[in-house]
Amino acid sequence: MPCSSAGAARFARRLAERNRTGGARAIKRNVAICLAAGWLGYAVLPWYGVGRDGILALAWLATYPDAASAPALVQALAHGRAWLLPIGLALALPLATLTLPREHPAFGRLLVAGGALGLIFAAIAGFGIINSGPRWGWVAAMFGDARQPGFGVGAVITVGALVMLFANGIAARGNFRGDAFIAGSLTVIVALIAMFVAFPVAGVLLSAVQDADGNFTIQRFVERILADNVWGLGCIAGGTSCGVAWNTIFLGILAAVFSTALGLAFALIATRTTFRWKKGLRVLTILPIITPPFVISLALIILFGRTGIVTGWLGVLFDIPRSRWLYGLPGVLIAQVLSFTPVAFMVLIGVVEGISPSLEEASQTLGAKAAKTFRTVTWPLMRPGIASALLLGFVESLADFGNPLVLGGNYEVLSTQIYFAIVGAAYDPGRAAMLAVVLLFFTLGAFWVQNRWLGETSYVTVTGKGDAGLTAALPRGVRWLCYATALPWAVFTLTIYGIILVGGFVHDMGRGDMTFTWRHYLTAFQVEQTGHGLFFSGSAWQSFFTTIQVSAIAAPLTAAIGLLTAWLLARQRFAGRRAFEFATMMSFAIPGTVIGVAYIVAFNVPPIEITGTGMILVICFVFRNMPVGTRAGLAALAQIDKSLDEASLTLGGRSATTLFRVVLPLLRPAIVATLVFSFVHAMTAVSAIIFLVSARYNMATAYIGSRVEAGEYALAIAYSSVLIVVMLLSILLIQFAVGQRKLGRRAPAVSLGTA
Amino acid sequence: MPKSGPSSVEFSAVTKRYGTVTAVDAVSFTIEPGTLVTLLGPSGCGKTTTLRLIAGLEIASEGTISIGGRDVTRLSAADRSVSMVFQSYALFPHMSVLDNVAYGPTVSGRRKADARAMAHEKLDLLGLKGFEGRMPSELSGGQQQRVAVARALVLEPEVLLFDEPLSNLDAKLRRRVREDIRELQQRLNLTVGYVTHDQQEALAVSDRIIVMSNARIAQSGPPRELYEAPANPFVADFIGDANLLDAELLSVEGARAQVRFGPVVLDLPHRGAGTGGIKLSIRPEAFLLSATRPNRPCIAGTIAKAAYLGAHMEYSVTTEGGELFVVDRDVMRPIAVGSTVWIDLADHGVTVVPV
Amino acid sequence: MRTIAILAMLAAFLIAPGLARAQGEVVVYCSVLVDWCNLMSQEFTRATGIRVVLTQKGSGETFAQIRAEANNPRGDVWWGGTGDPHLQAAEANLTEEYRSPALPRLHDWAQRQAQQSGFRTVGIYAGALGFTYNTQALARGRMPEPRCWRDLLQPAFRGEVQMSNPPSSGTAYTALATLVQLWGEEEAFNYLRQLHRQINQYTRSGPAPSRNAARGETTVGIMFLHDAVAEAIEGAPLRVVAPCEGTGYEIGSMSIIRGGPNRENARRWYEFALTPAAQALAVRAKSYQIPSHRDAPVPEQAPRLADIRLIDYDFARYGTTAERNRLIQRWEREVGSQPR
Repeated sequence: MPCSSAGAARFARRLAERNRTGGARAIKRNVAICLAAGWLGYAVLPWYGVGRDGILALAWLATYPDAASAPALVQALAHGRAWLLPIGLALALPLATLTLPREHPAFGRLLVAGGALGLIFAAIAGFGIINSGPRWGWVAAMFGDARQPGFGVGAVITVGALVMLFANGIAARGNFRGDAFIAGSLTVIVALIAMFVAFPVAGVLLSAVQDADGNFTIQRFVERILADNVWGLGCIAGGTSCGVAWNTIFLGILAAVFSTALGLAFALIATRTTFRWKKGLRVLTILPIITPPFVISLALIILFGRTGIVTGWLGVLFDIPRSRWLYGLPGVLIAQVLSFTPVAFMVLIGVVEGISPSLEEASQTLGAKAAKTFRTVTWPLMRPGIASALLLGFVESLADFGNPLVLGGNYEVLSTQIYFAIVGAAYDPGRAAMLAVVLLFFTLGAFWVQNRWLGETSYVTVTGKGDAGLTAALPRGVRWLCYATALPWAVFTLTIYGIILVGGFVHDMGRGDMTFTWRHYLTAFQVEQTGHGLFFSGSAWQSFFTTIQVSAIAAPLTAAIGLLTAWLLARQRFAGRRAFEFATMMSFAIPGTVIGVAYIVAFNVPPIEITGTGMILVICFVFRNMPVGTRAGLAALAQIDKSLDEASLTLGGRSATTLFRVVLPLLRPAIVATLVFSFVHAMTAVSAIIFLVSARYNMATAYIGSRVEAGEYALAIAYSSVLIVVMLLSILLIQFAVGQRKLGRRAPAVSLGTA
Repeated sequence: MPKSGPSSVEFSAVTKRYGTVTAVDAVSFTIEPGTLVTLLGPSGCGKTTTLRLIAGLEIASEGTISIGGRDVTRLSAADRSVSMVFQSYALFPHMSVLDNVAYGPTVSGRRKADARAMAHEKLDLLGLKGFEGRMPSELSGGQQQRVAVARALVLEPEVLLFDEPLSNLDAKLRRRVREDIRELQQRLNLTVGYVTHDQQEALAVSDRIIVMSNARIAQSGPPRELYEAPANPFVADFIGDANLLDAELLSVEGARAQVRFGPVVLDLPHRGAGTGGIKLSIRPEAFLLSATRPNRPCIAGTIAKAAYLGAHMEYSVTTEGGELFVVDRDVMRPIAVGSTVWIDLADHGVTVVPV
Repeated sequence: MRTIAILAMLAAFLIAPGLARAQGEVVVYCSVLVDWCNLMSQEFTRATGIRVVLTQKGSGETFAQIRAEANNPRGDVWWGGTGDPHLQAAEANLTEEYRSPALPRLHDWAQRQAQQSGFRTVGIYAGALGFTYNTQALARGRMPEPRCWRDLLQPAFRGEVQMSNPPSSGTAYTALATLVQLWGEEEAFNYLRQLHRQINQYTRSGPAPSRNAARGETTVGIMFLHDAVAEAIEGAPLRVVAPCEGTGYEIGSMSIIRGGPNRENARRWYEFALTPAAQALAVRAKSYQIPSHRDAPVPEQAPRLADIRLIDYDFARYGTTAERNRLIQRWEREVGSQPR
């Protein structure tokens, strides 16, 4: 965005005069810059992508302006791509504003009209024709058998300029308090969400009802969606296995119930007993955040596989025959419960701590025994938290991809089926899309249930803070039940992580060869000195560098867009604010596999042809993790007095200045939380990016996945350990780099969203 | 940089709507240059919204707003030469006192040294020398407020706005700060818009008062006029306490009229009222109580409640015409509850209120 | 201080990957074991200075990927993996015709592979299909030693056999085509239906069953013999079996992807991969296939094709897309989707 906020702020500062007509000038200046950028993109820069070396390689200059490298204007006039012409006409409209005063009613109207028309024409030109020909009949009728490659730098700049012209137009018409920055950022965010969330998801929904040639066939969709391998109930009737949809739901329910039960046991121990190491329990909560996928499953195989360590002991000690019980529902379930229990604990500990002790004391003073108090007061008050933990576990289980992939055996779930429908030799995007629709439906259904359920529950009773009473001790039975379930599980979790720690340093843990070796680390991370310079010969380097790069680029972008969104939501009033909020939260609810499928379906053809690039990975992370930034930002902004913003405004600080000088310094905790989360999450995510990685841009998790698939467990574990260390280091670095907020008063707490 | 000097603020038929709710309804008024005008009214009357419309923190739905003769209706807050002192002071908690005050000139593009010099000047003006390096959280409430004023003054705005500036101060400090604000305004010849819900505060500081009720202007004028000649029962009641009582206008003669109130007939300015039933506004101190019956027509009543307030007594008196609220300066000889009293009316403090 | 930290962090993130960038690069889709892929790419980079961008995936998946990327190819050369998908890619015009000067120096089977495809692919190694069993697991379960395909149908092997999944793995498809050629289609599917009950898991990748057999996660694994030999040499208690009825074989192939981004470098890789020296690298990566260059040394441990009863595998017919799709679809319908 060449004509964005920063430009506005700089000009405002430079030009601010005593009569402060800067605003009018800022908009006029903005419009001039946007027009210049728009025409630069339209009439000078290559409209289409100029090949793999990119615009910066300047190789395109050699043949400029041929059909590959010409700008839109030349394309339209000389290369027969007349569909690009209307964009130029729309871009000509706002030129008239250069002669008009900013207060003139036509000023804003021309900008809005030019911007909107230009965007519509650009969308038609972009989506109407792909590299294999026109997409729609009427386009074909107008332009014949036209083709075009994906949009390039010229198109991106022109579309950006059109968006900003439109935004300046609506600001000039007095919307958003006449503030071009707010109008601009809102328009840009809406445009981005439409482009990178709504459009691909809509594409998935659409391709589920299309056949291979792109014709709509509801019948085919119905056939597919009602197929036996989706909804079959053979497992109940006996004989065959159940449909994949039922498998998914069944696994989800079990994982939710077990992880919630264990999380509750941990939460009760941490808050209601005198257990000695309860501080250590809290450390558990960060484990799932920094655990790469697959490793828990691997550790389980090493322990309980047919030749696992524990299996061996059981065979020797009790003559229990070795079996493959781990592969299938039991293994996936154990792995998921291991992963989700800390999350349930995190949710529940807040609820259990929040229960006002005075309510329990009231019950006790009324003569109720401990057991009765627990049953009649404590338990009902915990119910909303439990509901929330259950639904979270369910949704996470639906979205989980790594564990079913490794341990699923022949137990198939939706996420792995979607994957195989795309990457297998039996390439069937239609089936993948249909399964994605089913998965999306389940997930949204769960969120809907959660909303309905918790929306009606009063939280008033669980907000009592600063309560002086003493919490009731657990009744003895409940206490022992908690110990009996939670403590073995804690030991189990520690064992699993112990295996992850050790596994990379021994020859082959799976086969019981426990001699120390650096072999796996050398395979993955060797560096050699060669005649051509330093040579990173380890097999993991390439994916490692890509992962770090992509995560490091995605994290600040995620924080920027997420927090900007939060600021708009919290501080600005505008029509459609609710819908905007819903749209920004939407991508969080969509399972990763669905997003992955959606992206390859949507972005493999013009105008946005970015599959196989690093950009698609960055974009995917930004829009998947953005809601976390938004939530952290909203929570933090709720604690910052709104009149601080207004004070800055009345002192001549434009909204951009206000944001950078006043709001952001106060949002440091939220910034840290968002940066950490998005960085770490980009390093551990697998479900979406497994579809998006390519030879050049491979990600660590995808690489680990293929090592697991090839049976190279030690290498996978070694790589995962390195990732864990890198993540811990980066958390510390980010904390240090962003720094503490310098405040005289108590720093408000910002909670990290749960993944 | 030349001083902007005080400017006028003009509202003509300004309306602000939030969805279906109208917060400010076709309001027109003018603040003359160099005067302090108070927007007064109960909470929810639209006075704060009006102030924010001047500041540009809200944009009018209809009508025009001009400052210094320039139409600013569509300009955002940052583009208007208006500063504001907020109820919560809104000092930036991550900046020192000096940085807070220097914020305005800094973000408007002054050089750092110039901005600091301007900040120092205003801090000196407000007696805050020596506090420059402190953080806002290390200051008392009164000091914080002076920092907020210094910060608002630093750009020498055309208009300075105060939103309930005294509400976070304790009672003792209020009077002093109130006087300081008035003194500052007159010394620097500022155009000031001031919002409060406290009528005493309004009477004390204002050149003019605009009383608002239900999103409209109920009356505007100098404090004395509002107090002595309320335009309607709402203003009569809101500015000072008033007993609003039924009376009958008997006859009109020139600007004056004969008004019968119970057994008493008064000669008052009729203020446009015609003959027939009218309302009388009688200030509590306009009732003169006596324990003995005077020899002219007067009202009889019984003391229902009595309260000693140090400087004066407050009585509730039950009469035929209704319950009266009476203030009596005579604290040495209080009248016991249950006693019968005779009530006379003073020369001032009795007004015909157009209904 | 903080600024320095931020700068250092940025530098670390952005410069370090830059160090890895050499002059040119070549994108290789590699369908053999990852160690071999890595060794080849290292040696290639060492010899030429060209950076190798490597993706290791099974041949079935790689074929799917190349097909999906046809509009905008991202890979340069597809090295290794069963020959059938290479032939299909040639048939679908996804790969480029190229005659290497080294062609006459290759074994006949490798040249035949090139001729069949119109010189769009070439043989680089050969290996026979068969199965392996874990001797310890076999003894523990008191199972008989399997010698023939039919032996796997014995009740003792119920749930003890693993093979890869025909829709995703070229190895499994070779097994399917081998059985069809051996017994005729009906008889082969009859066998596969019975075998289905013995299978504990259809793995995604071809070599996975040998890995799992080595680890004892399954007793018997069906795969290319050289994969199991590699495990056995590593010390796994595996015995490798060439079935008595006869068996098929693969011709591991190499193709240049049409329209790939680095054509010149792709050819350099191609020539490099056909040199005896490069083919000799396989042993170092513990891969024991028969190399296609006549001068390349045959690893001692490699299962000699001469000792195995090989069928006359009809690559021309079973390498076509139509035949492949037909057989796989039939397998999915009649075998894969059935209860066990």
